[in-house]
Amino acid sequence: MGMLGIVWEPLHKLLRSTRFNPKSGAPAVLGLRRQDAGANIRAANGPQGEPRMRRVILTCSHACSGSCAPATRELPSPATLVQRFLWRAVFVCGPFVCALGAAHATVDASAAGMIAPGPWISPSRTDAARFLAQATFGASDADIAHLQRVGYLGWINEQAAAAVSLEKPYLDWDSPTGDNNNQNPRREIWTINALGSPDPSRAGYPGNAHVDQLRQRMAFALSELFVVSDQNSGLSYQQWALGSYYDALAKDAFANYRTLLEDVTKHPAMGNYLSMIQNRKADASLNIHPDENYAREVLQLFSIGLTQLNADGTRQLDANGQPVPTYGQTTVRGFAAVFTGWNYTNVGCGPSTYNCCDADHYFDWGCAAIDYNSPRWQLPMQPIEAWHDSTSDKQLLNYPGVALANGVLVHGGDAQAEMTAALDNIFNHPNVGPFVGRQLIQRLVTSNPSPAYVARVAAVFNNNGSGVRGDLLAVLKAILLDAEARSIPPGAADSYGKLREPIIKFTHLWRAMAARSSSGRIDNFNTYPALQEWIGQAPLASGSVFNFFSPFFVQPGEPAQRGLKAPEFQILTDMYALNTPDRLYHEIFCNYSGSGDCWASDDPGTIQNNIQRDAALAMSNPGQLLDQYNLLFMSGQMSGYMRGVILDRINKITSGNRGASAGMFRVQHALYLILNSPEYSIQK
Amino acid sequence: MHLDRREFLRKSICAALGGVSLYSALGNLKLMAAATSNYSFADYKALVCVFLYGGNDGLNMIVPYDAAHYAQYRSLRAQIALAQSTVQANAFNAAPGDGGQYGAHPALGDQTASGGNAGLRTLFNAGKAAIVANVGTLIYPITGAQFRAGSVPVPPSLFSHADQQPQWQTARPDDLTVGGWGGRVADLLAGANTGSLPMVVSTSNNNVFERGDTVSPYCVDPGGVSQMSYLGGGEAWIATGNDPDSAAAYKALIAQGTQAHVLERAFADKSRLATANADLLIAALNPVPPLPALRTAFPDTGLGNQLRMVAQMIRVRATLGMSRQVFFVSAGNYDTHSDQLANQQDNLSELSQALNAFYNATVELGVANGVTAFTASDFGRSFTSNSTGTDHGWGGHHFVVGGAVHGGSFYGTMPSLALNTDANPTANPDDTGYGQVVPTTSVDQYAATLASWFGIGAADLATIFPNLGRFATANLGFV
Repeated sequence: MGMLGIVWEPLHKLLRSTRFNPKSGAPAVLGLRRQDAGANIRAANGPQGEPRMRRVILTCSHACSGSCAPATRELPSPATLVQRFLWRAVFVCGPFVCALGAAHATVDASAAGMIAPGPWISPSRTDAARFLAQATFGASDADIAHLQRVGYLGWINEQAAAAVSLEKPYLDWDSPTGDNNNQNPRREIWTINALGSPDPSRAGYPGNAHVDQLRQRMAFALSELFVVSDQNSGLSYQQWALGSYYDALAKDAFANYRTLLEDVTKHPAMGNYLSMIQNRKADASLNIHPDENYAREVLQLFSIGLTQLNADGTRQLDANGQPVPTYGQTTVRGFAAVFTGWNYTNVGCGPSTYNCCDADHYFDWGCAAIDYNSPRWQLPMQPIEAWHDSTSDKQLLNYPGVALANGVLVHGGDAQAEMTAALDNIFNHPNVGPFVGRQLIQRLVTSNPSPAYVARVAAVFNNNGSGVRGDLLAVLKAILLDAEARSIPPGAADSYGKLREPIIKFTHLWRAMAARSSSGRIDNFNTYPALQEWIGQAPLASGSVFNFFSPFFVQPGEPAQRGLKAPEFQILTDMYALNTPDRLYHEIFCNYSGSGDCWASDDPGTIQNNIQRDAALAMSNPGQLLDQYNLLFMSGQMSGYMRGVILDRINKITSGNRGASAGMFRVQHALYLILNSPEYSIQK
Repeated sequence: MHLDRREFLRKSICAALGGVSLYSALGNLKLMAAATSNYSFADYKALVCVFLYGGNDGLNMIVPYDAAHYAQYRSLRAQIALAQSTVQANAFNAAPGDGGQYGAHPALGDQTASGGNAGLRTLFNAGKAAIVANVGTLIYPITGAQFRAGSVPVPPSLFSHADQQPQWQTARPDDLTVGGWGGRVADLLAGANTGSLPMVVSTSNNNVFERGDTVSPYCVDPGGVSQMSYLGGGEAWIATGNDPDSAAAYKALIAQGTQAHVLERAFADKSRLATANADLLIAALNPVPPLPALRTAFPDTGLGNQLRMVAQMIRVRATLGMSRQVFFVSAGNYDTHSDQLANQQDNLSELSQALNAFYNATVELGVANGVTAFTASDFGRSFTSNSTGTDHGWGGHHFVVGGAVHGGSFYGTMPSLALNTDANPTANPDDTGYGQVVPTTSVDQYAATLASWFGIGAADLATIFPNLGRFATANLGFV
């Protein structure tokens, strides 16, 4: 399911560089500068020597078995000379063309769909920075240069192959005896992994910086979809539970959604958070019914949502114009009964350690995880059949093509068999692609994707081009390589994009400014009051299962009038609108290399921005400094107005009034003003 | 007529501001609200919504102890039932009229872990708190039989947190686009205030309750407000002192009319509002000479700190030019699917102690009769249990607290506690058939009673709560 072929050069240049013979009249074979997927493009030339590009034949190759037939597309004809030179074509195979057919394979640069403007193979510096804003925790100079060399797809493929960075090993290293019950080490390793900075818990430190940015960014997005939180009283001391849960998200970030769904469902962190652990079958004599908590939220939040969706993510409406519910209470009950009979793992239990959970000790206090680093907090829950409801038929989701007759799971299966059937039943619901796809687009690219964009991504979810449903890596490629991700649609220039999440402003700052601590730890997010009270966010610290913000949040005022969703604005309250800039202020003005200015500035675990790196330039050529930051932080989108304001401010800082620290001071003010500006705050 | 005025307001705002942000300037809104408001008040009143996120279990908060009702309760809630003696020890002085006698969850009682503090039960028995029974989101009055038959329309997405929270906060399950009822009330009343600070204040999250056409919640840090470091507050000493060049640069970047993108404008608007409101509030809370500390001690809990901030803002109401204010405070962890006995003890203890302190503070400030606090929650919880917890329900019981409250009484109708059995699956007339309690009082009635006390006229009440006429009583009389 690779990308079939990509051509991003003016055609005359491209053709000249190939074996194309304009006089032969035969189809020419255009060699791609970069063999992204072994694709060929044949172009039929015109009769007059000038390449006309009337017809482009797209031939699929290795990764496009089955449904990816060669596609032929007509160009508008006759194309003018100028048009010819401006034709830029991209042909995307696998998940894109194969799944979507003709609608998105035209060679018209203005057409919606797969044709993205701009150099694809060797993206410009600004295009590269823009891509990295969507796909990583922030651009850095090195990453921009590397992405330019390898191209978008090459970069994604590198990322897919990179080793996964985990949290658990750090927690074990930090506290070998497992007696640390606060969440500080978990925030440290989250930040280390998010920044891709050297990891003191692993061999090779400090030469062992993590490089799996895309995976980590995806894991973070998933953590805002499959929410568990240390704000829950049952998990507030359980950093191994939360760390291993986050690891599961990272491991599955490029796997299949069905795998992810089962791993999430059976993880003890989720088991505690949504109380599926120790859920029991009904007992009429005690008026006890199975717990509906997980049943309800796995449907409502993790997979299909409350209302029936079209393939493009828009809501289906009934004859009265009302949304169509996806399920009712009977279905919630059905799933609740399925999710009975699960308890902590018995791995490691025994007379010399701790009690085993069995049928007779299902609820016992002894059947709980005592040690914070116990396997019980980290390994999948296990079934205890005596407490599983094996006797009632269960109404599950009913939808066209459902495998179970009328969506009813006939009784008799054991706990795992019924869970398998139930998760399959969810997984195959037609809502999953648009529901999950739209939210992932919102986390990475834009708050208001067009229905067509959602439809393209959902189609890839439904079929990655090789007949596989739920391939998250293919979905991620579809999201990031879509035309609507790679360029701002002309009609949406003043509404495209999203409010940057506050926590990603910090990671962006630190990545761009090559921040390091002396110990390799990163304590900066271990704040008082807690980070989420400063900025409205912290890793796995949402106030509820509904995440820090809703994908449907509407900001009052003009965004509401325009019918725009603006999820991240939900945490841009007056309070955080003051507190987040203050926290950024602290990081920028207090924590620079060599600083002892503030409390904890020189602690070994405090990462400090390399402000000095740019101090000389700030004095010699402040305009160039801003150009550099415009690239790093704003993908070249800074307005002349904004640049003027900041330049004016930093030019007032001189060695006359600030002495030797004037250069650093200029850098700090520039950073502060950029990171708190409206223009930067909206990722576009 | 009033509907027309609201429509006019809506349209004129769009027309007047066009592509420019609605929230472009404090002053514009102020003028617009004043021009369209008929309200002015000589007195001061505040409504305080105490939202219990997750769905509070009213059935274990207000519990019968007479033999007949307790026996029913016991069989309904076998594994999580409170002991009869515990409930009786926390008896209410009044009864709800269903023949039963009821007491409070011990966390609401006089005896707490910290020893002997008064709480919600004390306030009830002193006539300063009322209980409104079995309130829930409704579109029409409905019985359990009608629900089971599907013969009467019900709110969409019952039993779902994300839907029932906004439905409670809007009192409009049939149209969530209208905003919260607190916000719609404030749309009409905001012109009555002379100050510029928003009439709707949240010490919690960005809630729907306080969103109207022209107002949206001003979220205040319960720990206090300070100006941004870069503008001279906080850690300003590190970088700028109080450098006018820095403030000028920052303000230039967020200045109105300098952004080309709708979301950038929204970000800039929020940045401007937040700093302007902070200036107002800092000035009011920090006069020269400084205000003495409140004598009333608040518990150091989430709700305690939030309600203390509310009390501090109420104290400076004159400085802020406020005659009407709507506050929103909240607590979480009410979604007690498991370990309910322990969790609800903690939750209700926090609630009870904080509300008691808050009431005392309003007495200290001499505004007890002008401040009414009321609870709200996603939903009540199920009759049934799932062993150690309960599941999402519908109707639930609520407290209203304040000097103006006609307290010491129950309002509304207590639900039946009869147990449905296989032999008699409809023994409980108030059961949906799935274990949830069908509400007998609508959120509309509950909210309209509060809004009426707050000063909303009858015609505007009908606009804000258009479904109110479907229910037998428009004013429940508890305040």
